[in-house]
Amino acid sequence: MTSTPTLLNRILIGILGLKLLAVGILLLLLASVPAVGTWWHTWSGGIWGGLNQAFNSTRFPGRPESWLWIVVAIALVILIGLMVAWIAQQGKGRSNLLVAEFDPGEVPGDVRISGGVAEQALKHALAERPDLAGATVGTYEVQGSPALKIRLQPRQGVAPHLLGAEVAALVAALNAVVGKTTPALIHIGAGARTRFSRAERVR
Amino acid sequence: MSHKLVDEGQASPLESNPVAAGRRPDMRRVLYRETHSSRAAVAVVAAVLVMGLAGYGLLEAAVHAIGQPAWLIEPQLAAERAVALPAGVSPLLLGAAGAVIAMIGLFFLLNAVLPGKRARHVLNGGGSSPAAIVVDDEVIASALARSARLAANVIPEQVMVVVSRRQVIVNVRPTSGVPVTENAVLAAVQDELRAMSLEPVPEVRVNISTAGVIGA
Repeated sequence: MTSTPTLLNRILIGILGLKLLAVGILLLLLASVPAVGTWWHTWSGGIWGGLNQAFNSTRFPGRPESWLWIVVAIALVILIGLMVAWIAQQGKGRSNLLVAEFDPGEVPGDVRISGGVAEQALKHALAERPDLAGATVGTYEVQGSPALKIRLQPRQGVAPHLLGAEVAALVAALNAVVGKTTPALIHIGAGARTRFSRAERVR
Repeated sequence: MSHKLVDEGQASPLESNPVAAGRRPDMRRVLYRETHSSRAAVAVVAAVLVMGLAGYGLLEAAVHAIGQPAWLIEPQLAAERAVALPAGVSPLLLGAAGAVIAMIGLFFLLNAVLPGKRARHVLNGGGSSPAAIVVDDEVIASALARSARLAANVIPEQVMVVVSRRQVIVNVRPTSGVPVTENAVLAAVQDELRAMSLEPVPEVRVNISTAGVIGA
């Protein structure tokens, strides 16, 4: 329901996993196979020589330090910034508005209906039900348009399709009141509250 | 008694077709996201790991750039030690470190590659329902257990239902001396499942235990 970048997550996690796996396997091989050790000496020795040369040729005039260190530091700062931005993308997508549209009536202006209207109305309608151990309603923004997520925790033994159909009717009634069809997702889930509460026997 | 009501409950209020058609692709995406686990937590762990490594590198690089002594290890020295690697460290330690790093890498890689399906089913109410419905397998199992229990006339503790993606296994331990007909239980569970119209449709298997329960 949120706009978590799933594909980006997969790609970045995959890259990190591959790199760590490669490093780990290399260390394992170095520890166990002597032939890998000689290959590693020549290969990494060559890279190290090149790096040394790069550092030597980029010294500040008259000082022993290389300005390449500053470049490295800036690159790392950028990397950290990118990581922070990546974390900030996770789980985004909650929104406040259910409807925000221009009203073509006599009074010029926009009409905005807060998501709290739907959340409060549905929560209130669901609070009285004896077959629910809990219900939460949230407004999300999916691909630029608002959507409702209704999470229900029914007691044990409640038929999910009947519950779903009744809550869907509630959503339809809400849509009729608001005057705009909001897509809704009903998640009927189980949790600790449903597992340890008494079973619903009447329905 | 309850699965007779099912067919009436299915007749949910109809919506005008164009509206439903207009947001279909949107809902399919939402449903995919709800039935597959997100990698948000793993992504945060990965980002924090990279940030920690980069932060340490940044510290050493900055310290080096202004000509101060290194904090933990001189980068020069670290690189020389890495080049000379099999020497200088005990092979046991090196192998253990390699194994740990490879394991962490494998964890991240599998998280990225595996489909990550959640134990949930999509409940399609004939396609005319105004809302998309996703149900945890546990809820389906407890509803099926109830209908199986009513059909077999036993108490809740004698029925155990396991719901997986493509299979429903109903285990019934009958009360000693009171026979339970497998077909009745199967029919009740299948009735309930048909009313739910899950996607994907699971297959039902009923196991009636040969040993009965005494005093239930």
